[in-house]
Amino acid sequence: MSAEGANRYWRALEERGAATAAEGPDEFAARREGIDLFLSRRGFLKAAGFGAAGALLASCARAPVQEAIPFLSAPEEIVPGHALYYASTCAGCSAACGMLVKSRDGRPIKLEGNAEHPLSRGALCAAGQASILGLYDSHRLRSPLHRGQRASWEEVDRAVGERIATISKNGGAVRFLSSTITGPTIRAEIDRFLGSFADGRHVVYDPLSCSAILDAHERTHGARVLPRYLFDRAEVIASFDADFLGTWIAPVEFAAAWRAGRDLEAKPPRFSYHVQIEPLLSVTGSKADRRIRIAPRELGPALSHLAGLLAKKAGLTFSSPPPADPELSAALATLADRLWQARRRSLVVCGSQDVATQVACNFANEILQNYGNTLDVERPSYQKQGNDRALQELLSEISAGKVAALFIAAANPVSELPGGENIAAALDKLPLVVSFASHRDETADHAHFVCPDHHPLESWSDAEPVAGIISVTQPVIRPLGQTRSLVETLSTWRGRPTPAYEIFQASWRSRIFARQSQETSFQRFWDRAVHDGVAAVEPARFSPRPFDVSAVKPAAPAKAGAAEGLSLVLYAKVAMLAGQHAENPWLQELPDPISKVAWDNYACLAPATAAALGVAEGDVVRLDFGAGSLELPAYVQPGQHDGVVAVALGYGRKGTARFAGIGPRWLDAEPSVGRDGLVGVDASGALELTDGVLRYVREGVRIAKTGRTRPLACTQTHHTITVPDMFAANGSVRRPVVQETTYAAWQGNPAAGREGEEAESEDLWPDDHPYNGHRWAMAIDLTACTGCSACVVACQVENNIPVVGRDEVRRHREMHWLRIDRYYSGSQAEVDVVYEPMLCQQCENAPCETVCPVLATVHSEEGLNEQVYNRCVGTRYCANNCPYKTRRFNWFNYPHQDPFANLVLNPDVAVRSRGVMEKCSFCVQRIQQAKIEAKQAGQPVADGAIQPACQQTCPAGAIVFGDLNDRSSRVAAAVANPRRFRVLEEMNVRPSVNYLRVVRNRDETDGEKSHG
Amino acid sequence: MLTPKLTAIRLPGIQRGYEPEQPIRFSHRLHAGEMQISCQYCHSGAERSRHAGIPAASVCMNCHRFVTAPLGAVRAEDELAAKENRPPRRVIAPELRKLYDALGLDDDLRRDPAKPQRPIAWVKVHNLPDFAYFDHRPHVAAGVACQTCHGPVETMERMRQVADLTMGWCVNCHRDANRTGIAGHPVYASIDCAVCHY
Repeated sequence: MSAEGANRYWRALEERGAATAAEGPDEFAARREGIDLFLSRRGFLKAAGFGAAGALLASCARAPVQEAIPFLSAPEEIVPGHALYYASTCAGCSAACGMLVKSRDGRPIKLEGNAEHPLSRGALCAAGQASILGLYDSHRLRSPLHRGQRASWEEVDRAVGERIATISKNGGAVRFLSSTITGPTIRAEIDRFLGSFADGRHVVYDPLSCSAILDAHERTHGARVLPRYLFDRAEVIASFDADFLGTWIAPVEFAAAWRAGRDLEAKPPRFSYHVQIEPLLSVTGSKADRRIRIAPRELGPALSHLAGLLAKKAGLTFSSPPPADPELSAALATLADRLWQARRRSLVVCGSQDVATQVACNFANEILQNYGNTLDVERPSYQKQGNDRALQELLSEISAGKVAALFIAAANPVSELPGGENIAAALDKLPLVVSFASHRDETADHAHFVCPDHHPLESWSDAEPVAGIISVTQPVIRPLGQTRSLVETLSTWRGRPTPAYEIFQASWRSRIFARQSQETSFQRFWDRAVHDGVAAVEPARFSPRPFDVSAVKPAAPAKAGAAEGLSLVLYAKVAMLAGQHAENPWLQELPDPISKVAWDNYACLAPATAAALGVAEGDVVRLDFGAGSLELPAYVQPGQHDGVVAVALGYGRKGTARFAGIGPRWLDAEPSVGRDGLVGVDASGALELTDGVLRYVREGVRIAKTGRTRPLACTQTHHTITVPDMFAANGSVRRPVVQETTYAAWQGNPAAGREGEEAESEDLWPDDHPYNGHRWAMAIDLTACTGCSACVVACQVENNIPVVGRDEVRRHREMHWLRIDRYYSGSQAEVDVVYEPMLCQQCENAPCETVCPVLATVHSEEGLNEQVYNRCVGTRYCANNCPYKTRRFNWFNYPHQDPFANLVLNPDVAVRSRGVMEKCSFCVQRIQQAKIEAKQAGQPVADGAIQPACQQTCPAGAIVFGDLNDRSSRVAAAVANPRRFRVLEEMNVRPSVNYLRVVRNRDETDGEKSHG
Repeated sequence: MLTPKLTAIRLPGIQRGYEPEQPIRFSHRLHAGEMQISCQYCHSGAERSRHAGIPAASVCMNCHRFVTAPLGAVRAEDELAAKENRPPRRVIAPELRKLYDALGLDDDLRRDPAKPQRPIAWVKVHNLPDFAYFDHRPHVAAGVACQTCHGPVETMERMRQVADLTMGWCVNCHRDANRTGIAGHPVYASIDCAVCHY
């Protein structure tokens, strides 16, 4: 079992095909070119010795004078060195998660979830964590622009005012184009502004559109509503290409809810059954209990057929032909059974942009009586309000020259929509185009006036993500430039200039205060809302009309072989979404959870397709779709449907030209940008806005090799920790680094899936270091971990981890202290995925501690493996010895180049220079802080008082940290859990990081079948 | 060989004896010694945060709103005014004049909008390197007297660094304190590296 077990998991296709893992990918092949030194070894040592002596003499200089400059009149709450937390709302996407902003010395340095927020429950996603860097962005516009030149607000107000007056007099059409704005105040201000024109309209679109869901509900329920999906109430979840754990609508809320429905430690245990039917391997698909690959054009017919099966069970006369594939047909029949058994407690979701398919999805939920139980349209979500039909009409109005004035906020249509060049050309012909963008983005370049809005951290704002829950955004820093709040600008142009704060107060007084009855004093209500960050008020209830069954039409499956070429699917990556974060280096460097590629987008091909075409990873391919073509490197993606090629949106953005020089500048350095000077390739030209819907799938795409190559910065084979056969001792038990089991097996035996013996072997070290005080440990639940990588970015923000650039990532030198290892199992076509966050395991018998020549890494009395940066001389023996490969070396003075961006650095953590080793410290700065505060209060440290950055942000709550010596702590309970295992336990390093086995909701037999 | 008494030879990085000139000649001897103002009245950060901090000018103004000159000088002006049969003028000592200028106050100690305000740039005497994270709070909580590390501040006209502030000096005190306790009660002062280096 052990030999087979060792090869059961694989990370890259090269490993899968290798006879033994020892013949796996040769990590050093690319770097084996000879290095030509002009200096011999001896000469170098002589020069170094002389240099060292000289440096020693030269260093005996006086230390620089340090000044301490206190306030003249100190605000009461500011204590230097003490952080203040303000409640606000994340603006990373339209989901509007609640967050706390950690502010030091009057500037925000970290974003954390707001545990009291009913939707996000204390978590933030990767994009949300990284969004703080946007505040300290030196490329952000500091003042308004007039025709690309900096201008003053007076000039701009005057010029815009004149043009508005003319347009108003002539009755010209005024359009306001934006992405989803959920805040009632901002929406009201926009409406008020447009109300002063005879023909004013607000058009909303989402670059990741859910317009089809809204349209479908209009047909079936009478109005364009987006339901609020309650995954925690669902026992059976069927998702047709809806990536709800990754990028669909509100992934943080959905991940928390999904996790709550899969709680094995609850009494009694709850475990939902999740089926994902999708063309690409998405984060959600990788966590599903059953995953079925499907071609995009068969998704609609399959869902329709499922609806037909459910209708039959309910005694309705509706049927839809079955799919041609008998396996899929059988799977749908089983799924229908399970859904029917769990009616009122099931949920069918669909991410398609085909309205008929979404209508079928509504129908399925209606038959299952899920409306009002697991999805709610009476208290709907406002997180996606885009209307693609209105957008299409607006674009044709613009190209026909019928729009007199266009205002664009929180949107970049030239870059996000297909036909960007045509849109740009049409914008150039309009009399007045005003953009509220904060950067000189592709759309702002074609605006007459750019009136930059504040960064969300500088603004007053509000958001109503779900009916009745209003999130407040408060500024935590004075505006860093001469930007102006959108509502203030609109009020100025309306003739009544009002500061944003007054607008919000007035709006809350008139609109929102009236919607609640608990508080009678407005001032108290406002103070409380600003303090909490969220207010619960009476929702504007929507009364749906009875379900209109006539709107549902059966869908015939496409004839087999009817389509030529591949289906091109455009998708959003977890970090990039539709490109709004393209200028964030943290998100560019974040390895994608599925592909583990950073700094690029690529054409994903299924292994069979790639083999048939003779395409390997890195081969630049050309995708020809009717309206254009794309050239980008290929990537072989196991688990993808064979007839699909997938490309991520959000790349090729103009602003990414700033990354040309990112990373260390040295002899062999290569730029992080592609041939055209940008990161990745802009795929938005392949989108289609037809028939009132923004479409992300194109059929009949031809693919051809170009002969060029562009090696990708793929981290999936970096830091492999599986023990190759040739290094293993004879007869030793080598356990797989991830362990999993099925729900059926777990119910029979909670320790099911354990590989090998649990007993600790003998130790040569004497047991003379007892842990008398605290004993820090961590437990990570692999069943809950969705691989979303929010923890990776949170760690980067908290610990001042540098960005190294694409070339360094290719050299395995990415600096993330916490990485998510993604393991596949199964065949190349039908894969199972396990995510394993890997960080310094804080081993008791740490192999790194014994080999450090200067004792820069030692073990603390509380179980931490400490890394002392000032003592480290950079031998790198510790990283060599680490079996988990979690140590990171500063090969260069990774520049914190941009002094403005340095304002985000955490003052509680040292910034490491070249030659120093670093690694996860369990956020020791947070541990210290909590211990000192507890000491001052005379109390013991409470369980949960210390939350490392990774734990704090995890939407699924997969990470638990605490004191093992506290027997009532959560981590002690996790360690006692029979699902617990430790990675590479056989090496007897005694790690302090424990993992809880993956449990999949499968029957035993199913489990066998899927590992082909 | 290099005994602590030979302060003329200083090892690199040790700033013992550092006694820089400050922008305002604040005398600890007068305030902490003669007036017996508690250390934490001004350096209130010591029990609230890592940094003890230097007080804001508003803390100075708590008293110096009224006290503008030494008593002797005020009495002398009073006598002179009585002799010349006029109301006494406000006497402002030259160092306090600097304080009021920083705050942009006029002779009557009212805010003069024409005068610019500029915070006082004190020269920090006790400097630790960036890789050492010292926190005052546990030391204050344990009852370590300020003078233990900062010396007889209440006798200093001009603030100077009396202690080594080397790591060895800190660790020695931690070890001693673990054995003998502080002010009679037992303490636990960790000598883990990560307590100060992270």
